[in-house]
Amino acid sequence: MTAPLTLSHYMIVAGLLFLIGVFGALTRRNIIGILMSIELMFNAANINLVAFDRFLHPEGVTGQALALFVMTVAAAEIVVGLALLLAIYRGTDTVYAEDFNLLKG
Amino acid sequence: MNMLTVVTFAPLLGALIILCLPKEKVKAIQTVAFIFAGISMIASLAMLPGFDRGTPDMQFIERYAWIPSFGVQYFMGVDGLSFPLVLLTTFMCVIGLIASLGIENRVKEYFFWFLVLEVGMIGVFCALDLILFYVFWELTLVPMYFLIGVWGGPRKEFAAIKFFLYTLTGSVFMLLAILALYFAGTAPHTFDMLELAKMTGGWSKNFQILVFLGLYFGMAIKIPAFPFHTWLPLAHVEAPTPISVILAAVLLKMGVYGLLRICLSLTPVGFQWFLPALVVIAVINIVYGALCAMAQTDMKKMVAYSSVNHMGYCLLGIAGMTTAGFTGAVFQMLSHGIITGALFLLVGVIYDRAHTRDISAFGGLAVKLPVFAGLMSLTAFASLGLPGLAGFIGEFLCFLGAFQTWKLAAAISVLGIIATAAFFLRMLQKVFLGKLNEKWADLPDMTTRELVSVVPLAILTVLFGVYPKWPLDLMNKTIEHMLGK
Amino acid sequence: MIEHAYLIPLIPFAASLIMMFGAKEDPHSPVAWIGIGAMTICLGLSVSILAAAAGGQIPLPYEHNWHWFSFAASIGGKSFLYDMPIGVLIDGPAAVLLVVVTLVSLMVQIYSVAYMHEDTRYKRYFAFVSFFTASMLGLVVSSNILVGFMSWELMGLSSYLLIGFWFEKDGPTEAQKKAFMTTKLGDSGLYLALLFIFAKVGSFQITQIHQFINNGYMTGTVATVIAIGILFGAMGKSAQFPLFIWLPDAMEGPTPGSALIHAATMVAAGIFVVARLYFIFLAAPDAMLVAAWIGCITAFMAAAMALVSYDIKRVLAFSTVSQLGFMMCALGVGGYTSGLFHLTTHAFFKALLFLGAGSVIHSVHTNDMRLMGGLSKKMPITFVTMGAAILAIAGIPGTSGYYSKDMILANIYYANQPIFWIMLGTALMTAFYMSRLFILTFWGDDRDHEKHHHAHESPFLITGPLVLLAFLSLVSGYMLNRDDLVYRLLAKPTISAQAPAGHAPVHAEAASADAHAAPALSAAAAEHAEGGAHHEGHLPHWLHLALPFLVLGSIGLAFTLYKGPRYALADGLKSTFAPAFHLLDRRWFLDDAFDLLVVFCDKVAAVAFWIDANVVDRVFVDGWGLLTRVFAEISNLIDALFVDRTVDGFGGLSLDLGVGLRGLVKEGQVQEYLMYVAIAFSLAATLILTR
Repeated sequence: MTAPLTLSHYMIVAGLLFLIGVFGALTRRNIIGILMSIELMFNAANINLVAFDRFLHPEGVTGQALALFVMTVAAAEIVVGLALLLAIYRGTDTVYAEDFNLLKG
Repeated sequence: MNMLTVVTFAPLLGALIILCLPKEKVKAIQTVAFIFAGISMIASLAMLPGFDRGTPDMQFIERYAWIPSFGVQYFMGVDGLSFPLVLLTTFMCVIGLIASLGIENRVKEYFFWFLVLEVGMIGVFCALDLILFYVFWELTLVPMYFLIGVWGGPRKEFAAIKFFLYTLTGSVFMLLAILALYFAGTAPHTFDMLELAKMTGGWSKNFQILVFLGLYFGMAIKIPAFPFHTWLPLAHVEAPTPISVILAAVLLKMGVYGLLRICLSLTPVGFQWFLPALVVIAVINIVYGALCAMAQTDMKKMVAYSSVNHMGYCLLGIAGMTTAGFTGAVFQMLSHGIITGALFLLVGVIYDRAHTRDISAFGGLAVKLPVFAGLMSLTAFASLGLPGLAGFIGEFLCFLGAFQTWKLAAAISVLGIIATAAFFLRMLQKVFLGKLNEKWADLPDMTTRELVSVVPLAILTVLFGVYPKWPLDLMNKTIEHMLGK
Repeated sequence: MIEHAYLIPLIPFAASLIMMFGAKEDPHSPVAWIGIGAMTICLGLSVSILAAAAGGQIPLPYEHNWHWFSFAASIGGKSFLYDMPIGVLIDGPAAVLLVVVTLVSLMVQIYSVAYMHEDTRYKRYFAFVSFFTASMLGLVVSSNILVGFMSWELMGLSSYLLIGFWFEKDGPTEAQKKAFMTTKLGDSGLYLALLFIFAKVGSFQITQIHQFINNGYMTGTVATVIAIGILFGAMGKSAQFPLFIWLPDAMEGPTPGSALIHAATMVAAGIFVVARLYFIFLAAPDAMLVAAWIGCITAFMAAAMALVSYDIKRVLAFSTVSQLGFMMCALGVGGYTSGLFHLTTHAFFKALLFLGAGSVIHSVHTNDMRLMGGLSKKMPITFVTMGAAILAIAGIPGTSGYYSKDMILANIYYANQPIFWIMLGTALMTAFYMSRLFILTFWGDDRDHEKHHHAHESPFLITGPLVLLAFLSLVSGYMLNRDDLVYRLLAKPTISAQAPAGHAPVHAEAASADAHAAPALSAAAAEHAEGGAHHEGHLPHWLHLALPFLVLGSIGLAFTLYKGPRYALADGLKSTFAPAFHLLDRRWFLDDAFDLLVVFCDKVAAVAFWIDANVVDRVFVDGWGLLTRVFAEISNLIDALFVDRTVDGFGGLSLDLGVGLRGLVKEGQVQEYLMYVAIAFSLAATLILTR
């Protein structure tokens, strides 16, 4: 009744997820939204990792392990990011990315 | 149990813990500093019963490979020469910490650097591997730089930079000499001091002289020997009180210790060659240092120059090349550490109250501050070598050792003793005696914290002067074998 | 009893600690009696030792040593552990001096209870006095010259503390510094002598040094150098020319303290040390001659100064210096017994004179004798006791001074005629100035009515010690001279004939083995010395008879010159010989010389510091810095010319590129940057994928 899921299905989902992430990161004004979008891109990558592992090397768990690592790193990254955000918010009273132009030369 | 590692690195652990504490928790920071400096002191005292006074050999040895490819080891041990100095260091650091309780700004950084400094100082006296020695030697520099440069007086930056660059210059030459020794040793190359000492027979005279000069340059700046002493008065004057104490009590001793431990054993021929110059330097240090002290109006600077004079006694004792002289030099290091430490603390006490150290600004303080006056007189008399106090024994043994070899030099140096008496008596007279200067009519006498830091030193001064057997027994056997191998 | 001799210095030491730290400061506290009690015990011990020694029950010398500390020493290239002993060595002079010191100290302390009773630093005074006595006794009993030296310096400290006791005034603080520095100058000689002794002998023990010299191991030159060093120390402490300048100034301290330290005991320590190490002097005849001349010059100069001074304490101070010169001179000509004999008798009458003067000052509140006069009626006991002391110091037959001074003059007569005539003159001057002091103070009518009106006899605590000391001043000479007791107790040490200096057994143990076999001052040697000394102990008959008349003559001269309230005769002399008087008033300009020396030292110090700051610092620190900077500049130049050009090229290129690109974007917008990244990335991906 239903066709089996192939690698392509996973890759399409992952690609869509990634594009949503890129879109969000480029368009959201709120920096929290940007962070969430970045998370989406991470997760797209994770889906790919797990899928490749499952389909190309079914005997091992390397991909899954790698995905777990990425999740950890992502968590750490979001912590740092949020901490930075908090610090910036305290200093500038805003969470909108276009207002952060301290790097302006 | 690796006692020496505990003694050396307990303060480092303390420093790391302080790093993790928030800077507002001043009490906690101070407590941690005391606990770990205390552990170090108690551990070093705990080594006393186990220390064999009947052998000249190294004890409490710890030896691990560190960088095997270059023959660098973690090699620690103490003998009668270094053990008293380790005790002095751990003890003076606790005293210094008590005096540091008055520090109010950037407490966290202060205690961190203080403990790191302690690690370096203890390590220098314990290390038996040249590279390890060098690492510890340099480790003292950085904390000292910050301690003077951040918490010092009006010209602190200048003093810190001068101290740092000058001593670093000396160390560079020392490093070159150490590397020369490394390559001169027979294969497999080693930095092990004891091993290298056995190879000295195979080295030519010129090589030894060259290496000696390199080592001496590094040591002489630390001692400080004429003409490399000019960083000392400046550093002392600008440094905060506890750091002056540590600088005088321990840091200067590293130079003399290095001279005895490294120069004498690794380049005996070069050492012998240099003796006539060394005795001249010693005499200059003694007489000239005393004269410079005589010309001072700033109490702290006067005490600083008196250190130059007192380290001259050590050099004189060493230049005698007799065991009595060596004993004198080591004892003088101990007594100078205790006495001059106390002097700096006391100068700090008066400076904290009056915000001046000008000798002629005072007068008649003995009436208002009897305890302070009594302690200051005691330490001043100890420093000018009054018998019955620690200064005399060291000084006398130095002279005793030197006189056998250099009669005229010893006779000239006696002038230094007289000059020392002159400037200390004048200081006592101008500050404490005579009519009370009404400006200081309501100065308070010493507080409990100040008493706690000074009184132990005063007690030790008397104790060592009346019964020098205890420290002498620690060092006798080692020193007895330093010449007659 | 003698085995507890070590307690003699320890008891007063403990007493001083208890008084200093255990008692509260209170002008009426009974704390003084702790010191007095301690001193009484010591006096008892000392007297029993002396009595036993005089009666021959215990053999002297008695020596007992304990281990103190060891240090590694090497002599002649051989390393060994030297065990420093600490112990007691009691010979005749020590036994006598123990009694003298404890007795005078006890008298002074009892006297001080009354004298110091209103002082705000009452307990401290007694603690200092006890501390002084302890150090003096330590010097007397010590068997080890290093311990002796330590006590010697501690005496200097207590002298310093007592001279500057009233430190609120400038006079005492200057005087205490001067005293400490001058004696320190002398001490440096003794210090070097100690070093020399150890370098030669390898021991600090007096008996071992004696043994070493007995064996002839010490050459004459070495002995001379050592002896001169010891003499130099004695010159400082015992106020000999030219270092006597500190003693007159030392009178700024409390009078009883002066009596104890600067009259009776401490100043005699120099003489005692010379006597203690007399065997070194015996091996060094040149040094003996120097000592004799120094003593002679000192005695004469000080007596001359005493002739013109009007300050009662200064006159006594000059007199002390002069009498010390007598002792030193006696030792210098070989009169060991007579020198120490005079030391003993002098201690009694000079302490008495000072205490008497203190009693007078206490009563009239001035030191100036011109404002006194006629006090005999107001202060009869002081008057009579002082009179006894003056008879003794002038040398009236029968008094103690007569016996000892006669013996000194006899010794000098046979040894050195020129010195003898000078010393004879000095002895007559002594009689003159002491009578002058006596007449000006007590005789005739009062010169200052108000002061005289307030004058009163001192309380019993003051007059009691005066009476006892007066008794001793009169009879101690006779008592000691009877049965030649003084020759037995104060027997001159001997050294055996000088053997050529060979290889010395420098090792201390070797020497100590010998020391046991032959006690240093053996009884036999003492017998031998006695025979020689006896003959020298008496002047030729005609001189012996003439001397008392000469003394009486000079006393009579003093009466003629100074009797009456105005003493016009003396003033007339003063204007006639003005330059001479001026010279004496200025104390032979020695004080000015000392001041010049101090100024000179300050100048030298200033120059040294200038050099340090401007030459040494410049050359070795700034010079080093300059060198480094020159190097740095050179390498900088190379860097800038060659190395940096390349870097700059690349840098400039990327900079230009960056500036060009920057025009394209809105500055500072993270998301825009991100967009460019995404675009670039997708372009790159497309390119790669479609290839």
